[in-house]
Amino acid sequence: MPRSAYPVRQLLAGGLLAILLVACAAPPRAALVPLPPLTQPSTNEHHVGKVIWVDLVTPDLTAAEHFYGGLFGWTFREIHTGSTNYAVALLDGRPVGGILQRALPAGEHRQPGWLTFVAVSDVDATEQLIVQGGGKVLAAPHTYPQRGRQAVFTDPQGAVFAVLASSSGDPPDFLAAPGEWIWSSLIASDPGADAAFYQALFGYEVFESDNEGGSEHLILSTEDYARASVNPLPASGHHHPHWLNFVRVLDTEQMAVTVTQLGGRVLVEPHVDRHGGKVAVVADPFGAPFGLLEWPESQSKENLQ
Amino acid sequence: MKAALHRGLTVALGIALVTVLQGCVAGGGGYYEGGGVDVVYGADYYEPWGYEYGGWGPGYRVGPSRGGDPHPHAGGGGGRAPPYHPAAPSRSMPSIPSRSRSR
Repeated sequence: MPRSAYPVRQLLAGGLLAILLVACAAPPRAALVPLPPLTQPSTNEHHVGKVIWVDLVTPDLTAAEHFYGGLFGWTFREIHTGSTNYAVALLDGRPVGGILQRALPAGEHRQPGWLTFVAVSDVDATEQLIVQGGGKVLAAPHTYPQRGRQAVFTDPQGAVFAVLASSSGDPPDFLAAPGEWIWSSLIASDPGADAAFYQALFGYEVFESDNEGGSEHLILSTEDYARASVNPLPASGHHHPHWLNFVRVLDTEQMAVTVTQLGGRVLVEPHVDRHGGKVAVVADPFGAPFGLLEWPESQSKENLQ
Repeated sequence: MKAALHRGLTVALGIALVTVLQGCVAGGGGYYEGGGVDVVYGADYYEPWGYEYGGWGPGYRVGPSRGGDPHPHAGGGGGRAPPYHPAAPSRSMPSIPSRSRSR
């Protein structure tokens, strides 16, 4: 071997070894899909304990867009990257939620659902409180530059929820327009215990509401606004605790009809609730449940005064 | 000639290393991550099958109050202390935000 060729071969071998080592240690490169900020322009408001976002996971994004677009007039801004299909749902240009397409897990009997995001100021500190309180981490805190830092958990009774520290601020406390999310209910096996758990996380005031059935119905509040109710699971049947979110509608009965026309189902028939308006629980064509809730503006306390 | 070959190999190795290192950094996220790998985003969660709403009979109220209602059972009602800290009896039931965007 000529002496002059040796350094070149040595350099080549060393370099290739280095590349292999680095490549093996590196995670696989992922395609990136930018998530838009929660509010544009930034609000710089923060409302800890308020439900500020929802994400639907569904096996068919196109079908979900057809259903929710037809029902509420939502439009969609799709974000496709690699195998990930995500769409931001918009109402009059304002983001109202996200829809993520994912195949249903093979061999498992699962159903789509809307994931509830609650505002926090410190996701990591909240994670500690959740774990201390008996909750579990489903997705560890992760920062999404435009969106903020978020994580997904189950509460001690198994209801799935997420927390989000929005980097653009939280949506202001306005009355939801028809077609926007207006209310959230936690359906729990032990409402009192769950209220205590969430009170420790978000500093809720807990109000016991008047009820006729003798079961525990609670209202969670921050900043003198009601943020959610906590309701008991029905006594019979197969149930599991979960969060259920409601969209404001002008006519619950008519919307329930439209749900069925679009391929969805009515789970709880329209009926009058404590505020005097009608509510119903429906499911989209893939089984994701959500609520419909009438809220005439004249019924608001501030408008009555 | 040999010197030129040496320099060329060095440059090529350098470019290759930088490319691989960029791949490490880009995988750090801040987005829904897709492409050839599994999505890392934790919201891609399917619920267990079987919501049951048949028990929503009379008195099963999930909606918000209109506000101003009395807070009838502050302190647990039945005498047993609840696991949460109830709002003070002097506090009236709050409602949802009522301010419209247009105002």
